[in-house]
Amino acid sequence: MTGYYSLAPVWISDVVGSALMLIISFGAIYYAHRLRNAEPSSIIWMYLLVLSAALAGFSISRAVAHLAKHAMLMAGYPHMWEFFRPYTGAFNSIAFIVVASVTFFFPKVQKINSEILNDKRALEQATRDIKALNRDLEALVERRTRQLSVSERKYRGIFEGSMDTIFVLNQKFIFEDINPTGLSLLGYDSLEDFIGKISLADIFVSNSDHTQFLEDISRSGAIKDMECRIRNSSGAELVVLLSVTVTTKDLSRRTNYVGIAKDITVRRRMEKQLHQADRLASLGQTAAGVAHELNTPLGIILGYTQLLLRNCQESDALHSDLKIIEKQTNNCKRIVQDLLKFARNSETKKSDVDLIECFKEAISLFGHQFEKEGVIVETRFENNLPKVFADGEKLKQVLVNLLVNAKQAISGNGLIIVTMKLNPDRRAVIVSISDNGCGMSTDTVEKIFDPFFTTKPVGVGTGLGLSVSYGIIQAHGGALEVESEEGVGSTFHITLPLTDQNHQNIYPDNLQ
Amino acid sequence: MIRIITFLALYSYLTPEPVYALQSHGEPEGLFAHQIAHILFSVSMIFLAYWLKSNNFTRERGWRLIQISCILFFIWNLVAFCGHYVEVKLPSKLIEGTGSGWDQALLLSGSPYSLYYYFLKMDHLICVPALACLFLGLRNLYKKTLMKVAADK
Repeated sequence: MTGYYSLAPVWISDVVGSALMLIISFGAIYYAHRLRNAEPSSIIWMYLLVLSAALAGFSISRAVAHLAKHAMLMAGYPHMWEFFRPYTGAFNSIAFIVVASVTFFFPKVQKINSEILNDKRALEQATRDIKALNRDLEALVERRTRQLSVSERKYRGIFEGSMDTIFVLNQKFIFEDINPTGLSLLGYDSLEDFIGKISLADIFVSNSDHTQFLEDISRSGAIKDMECRIRNSSGAELVVLLSVTVTTKDLSRRTNYVGIAKDITVRRRMEKQLHQADRLASLGQTAAGVAHELNTPLGIILGYTQLLLRNCQESDALHSDLKIIEKQTNNCKRIVQDLLKFARNSETKKSDVDLIECFKEAISLFGHQFEKEGVIVETRFENNLPKVFADGEKLKQVLVNLLVNAKQAISGNGLIIVTMKLNPDRRAVIVSISDNGCGMSTDTVEKIFDPFFTTKPVGVGTGLGLSVSYGIIQAHGGALEVESEEGVGSTFHITLPLTDQNHQNIYPDNLQ
Repeated sequence: MIRIITFLALYSYLTPEPVYALQSHGEPEGLFAHQIAHILFSVSMIFLAYWLKSNNFTRERGWRLIQISCILFFIWNLVAFCGHYVEVKLPSKLIEGTGSGWDQALLLSGSPYSLYYYFLKMDHLICVPALACLFLGLRNLYKKTLMKVAADK
């Protein structure tokens, strides 16, 4: 290895290698370009395209320069090669730096691009999810709205159609809503007149009921079946069972109250009437027993007294004493007869009675006296009033009793209104006698039909008039009721049932 | 800080000295720049080969070929770097003959660098396979991408 060695192998590798580099580098650019076109958004293919381009630039510079160098040297122009040589070297250096730069920066760019793509995918997925959710949400909202509408209709139906009063109160116990039944019960025509204007305190009759209500609701948050009296817009008293509860479970944040009020006025009245009827029936049995027991001895006393009177001269001192005994015994017998009438043990002779005629006969007895004392009797009789099957004399006695009582209730000038009409189902005749007299307290009304109960001074009445009237009407299968308000007046209602025959007389077309 | 800057500005303004804005560059700077570019290129290729491996790209044949290409380019850069160095060290009188090299001859005993120069000058033997690997890798990736795009459609 001490001699000269030919550089021909170096020359061959240089020329052939340069030519191959040119060809291969263009091939690389071709595929890198195709890759880039296949997936334009890929940053990796972009990098490979730049890398291939930089290497192709290097290859061109190097290969062309090397081939040109050999050509120039062989052609005998070495100075030309010396001219181009620095340019090719500088260009190669730039190509290396470009390759190095893009390579060093590529991972970072690729990472950022990857994150952007991931974010894009996530965003697209989120958009798809939101669209799906939106679609589902619309369906869900539609379904829920439908369910809500059905539920609303159902509960609105319960609210509107309930036969009991359902209401909502706000924090200050002012009505926020009420169903039609409640509005009608309280006597209001429209919600506008009621909602937000009337409070629970306004309708309670008794302050004690109101206080009890407030105490119970604040203590336990609910009230169940509290019986209390309320007043409607026309002033009529009603008895209701009140149940109220707060709408929130947290008692410290109660905002609304929901309640139900059940009207038991009629039931209470019926119970009261039944109670009174029972009591009067019991009293009637007692009275009948006493009357029977007294009737016989009184008859014997009266008989012997009359026998003694027959044998006694009027000038005799004993005669006047016997007369007193006879008179008092007759008084006792009348009382006993009244007791028997009250106990419905007396005989009745029933026939078709014209009530208007019956009334006229009754009023004729003391009509002129009424006029003299300034009491006007006004009559309001329904046309074509049917006859009733009753004992006319006893009915007349009842009318007389009631008219006399009405007159006595009026001090000075006054008005008595007598009304006769068919009841709503047209199965009975109702005779009402109203006066604008002093009226009666609740306690008095409760005892008004008791035998020997009277508010009149001693000696003015026996206290059997209304008891007898009550017994007579009961004996006719009817009812005698009273409504009274102290200082305003009283009204007695006589209900006399019509027999089938009487009923058919009103409606002859109904006969089949 | 503002006071210091103001002081320095005033000092430099009040004590003027000659400045050399343009620096002259002598002969070896071009070679040094070229050699540094080779170093950068080689380091970037090793970096790329490592990155492809660590990111599991090399499970595909195309990327494996590109990784091989990177390694070959790294080797080629070392060869080229040494070749430039040896070329500078080798006295020109050791090469006999004129022209492009076809009829030239090298005196191998003339310098300890002569033998290295002879082999290092044949760097195309590494450079061409490196480029070929890149080409083959790209072609492989392109074919696979085409199939993937077709499958996606």
